[in-house]
Amino acid sequence: MFLTLLKKELFIEFRSREVILSMLIFGLSIILVFAFTSNVSKVIVTNYAPGMFWIMVLLVTVLGVHRSFSYEKEFDAFSLLISSPIDRGLIYLAKWISGFIFLTIMEAIVIIPFFKFLLIEYPSDLLLSVVTTLLINLAIMSVASLVSGIAMRANLSEVLVPILFFPLVSPVVIAASKISAGIMAGEPYQLWQIWLLIVISIIVIFSLVGYTLFDFITEE
Amino acid sequence: MQLFFKQKINIISLLMVTVFMLFNIWNIIYNTPMVLEQHWAQKIFYVHVPSAWVGFLSYFVVMISGLMFFIKGNDYWDRVGLAAAEIGTIFISLVLITGPIWATPIWGQPWIWEPRLTTTLILFLIYVGYFMMRSFGGHVERVKRYAAALGIIAFVNVPIIFVSVQFWAPEIQSHPQVEIAKQPSDILGPFLISLGIFTLLYALMLKYRIHVIKIKNKVVANV
Repeated sequence: MFLTLLKKELFIEFRSREVILSMLIFGLSIILVFAFTSNVSKVIVTNYAPGMFWIMVLLVTVLGVHRSFSYEKEFDAFSLLISSPIDRGLIYLAKWISGFIFLTIMEAIVIIPFFKFLLIEYPSDLLLSVVTTLLINLAIMSVASLVSGIAMRANLSEVLVPILFFPLVSPVVIAASKISAGIMAGEPYQLWQIWLLIVISIIVIFSLVGYTLFDFITEE
Repeated sequence: MQLFFKQKINIISLLMVTVFMLFNIWNIIYNTPMVLEQHWAQKIFYVHVPSAWVGFLSYFVVMISGLMFFIKGNDYWDRVGLAAAEIGTIFISLVLITGPIWATPIWGQPWIWEPRLTTTLILFLIYVGYFMMRSFGGHVERVKRYAAALGIIAFVNVPIIFVSVQFWAPEIQSHPQVEIAKQPSDILGPFLISLGIFTLLYALMLKYRIHVIKIKNKVVANV
């Protein structure tokens, strides 16, 4: 059933490409603004780059999850979805994993302009960067999907999502910036492993809490 | 429905808490020793820490109410959750006000990214969102469930926020709270008294607020 729900999410998106395209264009616009406003030495930009990248990702995530959940409001599709005999926690898991896929696709495309526009070097250990980024994406999306699930059918959901999301995701942002900064500086794993543990804890806690609570949140 | 302060037990509780709180203020001002290098600024410790205790206790009550609301499906737990969230936010605001007042003369600046203060600020911001959800969320029954979920998520997130801020700024570990157990008895005694009185005040406020919310819901339902 989970795979069916995930397929539904991916099918809708790959047919319309609304979420990924809007995330992509918004991400590129943010990078452009960062490039215009960071006309300083390469060392300073390199130090701030991890923070800039994850700020961009957070803003893009808000846009993406809001759009992804807004689909469900049209023609009251969500009511039909939750009235079907499925485990509602799986709806959360499908939203989470599909959001993770969209975010990763967006990052894979904007990462080159990010480094090129800001005139900074790629991290030396690319594989490590990719693996940690995937984990961080999972953590960000676990929080974002749950917050969107809560706020989706509320009035002013477009205001409530960022207001609730940013404070809740703050531990992930701190961890993400520290991990990326550590990798870019070529620091050994031991120096930033604690941040990876925090990211993994968030993935585990939010996936469990989200899966459990979604059933109650979506009750009619 | 009988008015809250028409009930004998409530008016007695109010009188007792008022007397206790006046005694507490007098005790803090006149009976606690002046700490070297901190002078009057240290006195805020007797208000700041109990406020933090009550704030976090209140948010814990919000989480428990959220869980109970989902398990029992009873509106009573929604009222408890809302009342605890409101009172908790008042006390957490007090923490965020008294902290910088104490820090300005002691640390030389009103704010540093100390883990407890930062965790408190983040929790405060989550609860600002919680109240926005309550106010603008729309459908009343749905909002109750969203608020219950948010209360659970907010409290579950506290240890993660605390640990991440602690590792984020390991050099900032100068918060005096960790040394409470080592304080001399003439400081520890008044501090524990203040903690107890703040807890009693909290219990009364919670009971009162639950009562008010119940009346308010009844009025709204009848309109």
